[in-house]
Amino acid sequence: MNEVPVSCIPAAGKMSKTKKIIDEACDLQNPELDLADKSVTSFEEMPGLLNMLNVTRITLSHNKINAIPPGLANLVNLEILNLFDNQITDLPISLSQMPKLRILNLGMNRLNILPRGFGAFPALEVLDLTYNNLNEKNLPGNFFMMETLRALYLADNDFEYLPSEIGQLKNLQILVLRENDLIELPKEIGDLNRLRELHIQGNRLTVLPPEIGNLDLVSNKAVFRMEFNPWVTPIGDQLQVGISHVIDYIRSETYKYVYNRHQSAKGPPPPIEADKSKKLSRLV
Amino acid sequence: MPGIIKNISFNMSLDHMFCSRCREGFEPNEKIVNSNGELWHPQCFVCAQCFRPFPEGTFYEFEGRKYCEHDFHVLFAPCCGKCGEFVIGRVIKAMNANWHPGCFRCEECNGELADAGFIKCQGRALCHDCNARVKAGALGKHICYQCHGVIDDKPLRFRGEVYHPYHFNCTACGVELNSDAREVRSRAGYAANEMNELYCLRCHDKMGIPICGACRRPIEERVVTALGKHWHVEHFVCAKCEKPFLGHRHYEKKGLAYCETHYHQLFGNLCFVCNQVIAGDVFTALNKAWCVHHFACAFCDQKMNQKTKFFEFDLRPACKKCYDKFPAELKKRLRRMHDLTPKRIPG
Repeated sequence: MNEVPVSCIPAAGKMSKTKKIIDEACDLQNPELDLADKSVTSFEEMPGLLNMLNVTRITLSHNKINAIPPGLANLVNLEILNLFDNQITDLPISLSQMPKLRILNLGMNRLNILPRGFGAFPALEVLDLTYNNLNEKNLPGNFFMMETLRALYLADNDFEYLPSEIGQLKNLQILVLRENDLIELPKEIGDLNRLRELHIQGNRLTVLPPEIGNLDLVSNKAVFRMEFNPWVTPIGDQLQVGISHVIDYIRSETYKYVYNRHQSAKGPPPPIEADKSKKLSRLV
Repeated sequence: MPGIIKNISFNMSLDHMFCSRCREGFEPNEKIVNSNGELWHPQCFVCAQCFRPFPEGTFYEFEGRKYCEHDFHVLFAPCCGKCGEFVIGRVIKAMNANWHPGCFRCEECNGELADAGFIKCQGRALCHDCNARVKAGALGKHICYQCHGVIDDKPLRFRGEVYHPYHFNCTACGVELNSDAREVRSRAGYAANEMNELYCLRCHDKMGIPICGACRRPIEERVVTALGKHWHVEHFVCAKCEKPFLGHRHYEKKGLAYCETHYHQLFGNLCFVCNQVIAGDVFTALNKAWCVHHFACAFCDQKMNQKTKFFEFDLRPACKKCYDKFPAELKKRLRRMHDLTPKRIPG
């Protein structure tokens, strides 16, 4: 083998191991690349990776990558990109042009913002942004244009409001908003008629829009997690007995009255109780 | 009919003796054939048809003429309506034809009819039994295989035939059977040819023979055991299309079995990763489904199987390695939430 000498890489041993995996995948025409937990800090350590046009999956979880080269978008056959647990702060705009990308895992990174035009993915089905530093103010304008999306993971971020455009994600089946700072949910959430998994536990929610009663969240194929919120007493009481009781109550005329009264006499939002200073995504 | 030729050679008055064929006299010392008092020149004592001497001296006579065996048959013997051969000896004349006694048989059961007699039934010769059965069959009735009588009530089926039930008794208790009796063809611990026994319904029900979960009747042939019940092979069917699985894979859901097509149609098992209908084995966990080769940790894509231990994170599977790498503060939060949440783990 003619080793290409690469300089200025401290972990030469690890690097060559990474290179070996890439070379092997090239030789075997293996379209799936497993590079999890290889102490990779930069794409420059993976020469040749950006030329593997036949690759369909790249897994780079548990590395120390902080930047994605725009050239990654040249891998037109890529369907699954897993960058879970890295140190990414910026994403190239080109990423959203990848024609076949279906599953993108950017969980557990250090994203404070998403690039403009991020929502242009033509085929994205599963987007994981869990455990970053995102909120409604740093989402790009077209974020909710990803009509193909069936699962959106936004747990462990800093959302206080969910934009009403969420209602445009007609194919959404899974929406995870666990442990954000949500003060209220938009009524448009009731438009997501394919939703069968809704996680809103650990927020600052006091009421639910009555429209949520339109959703089928109590069948045996559905999951609705709503614990650990400062719910108004009637909702909290129903939750004690079970989720189905909450939904029944939300669908009642009584609740519409309670909800409207609550909305018109809006007090200050509940305080943020969670201390997020220890979140790894906060580290710079 | 065959006559015996005697060669007579004796010297007596030849003046009054003439050959029966050519009417000539005989020379002294000439051989004379005498048959039943008639005399012939040896060269004149021949078949009336082929003019050849009779083989081995055997001839057949008909209307005063003598024929060799062959020509007699050709000219006068009856031909069998079945095999087409000459009928020699006893001839059965029936159904406007001649028959060898062995060739005239019942067209239903093939039994010889020569001495038993027959009945003409719609242009066919039938024995009495078959005629009765055919007639009864036309009336929608069974004929007892034992007594050949018409069965007016429900027949007892045994070894593929029908009988009057009262010809049999229960193998176990000896009671005379009725049409509710059950035939047992095979039973665990018995070779197939040891069985074929009849039991009254009471004794049969006490024998521990599995009962089909669909038709509630005992299963005497192959038993399918599924969903905690026994089934006739042909009664174990898809709950949707009701076609029997006949050994094909079935999918169980809430105590019902489905064929692959309808299971997917009804329960929409799309793989969480490839979003395609799952053909073959399905992993179901965390309110989701996966194809076998797509069931993997959601965070490092490491393949998992049914034995792999995994942690749940936002209803996705996390392998132990990944979970261990989660930030300590996150794990602490997850553990706290888990402990405080009422348990309702979706299947």
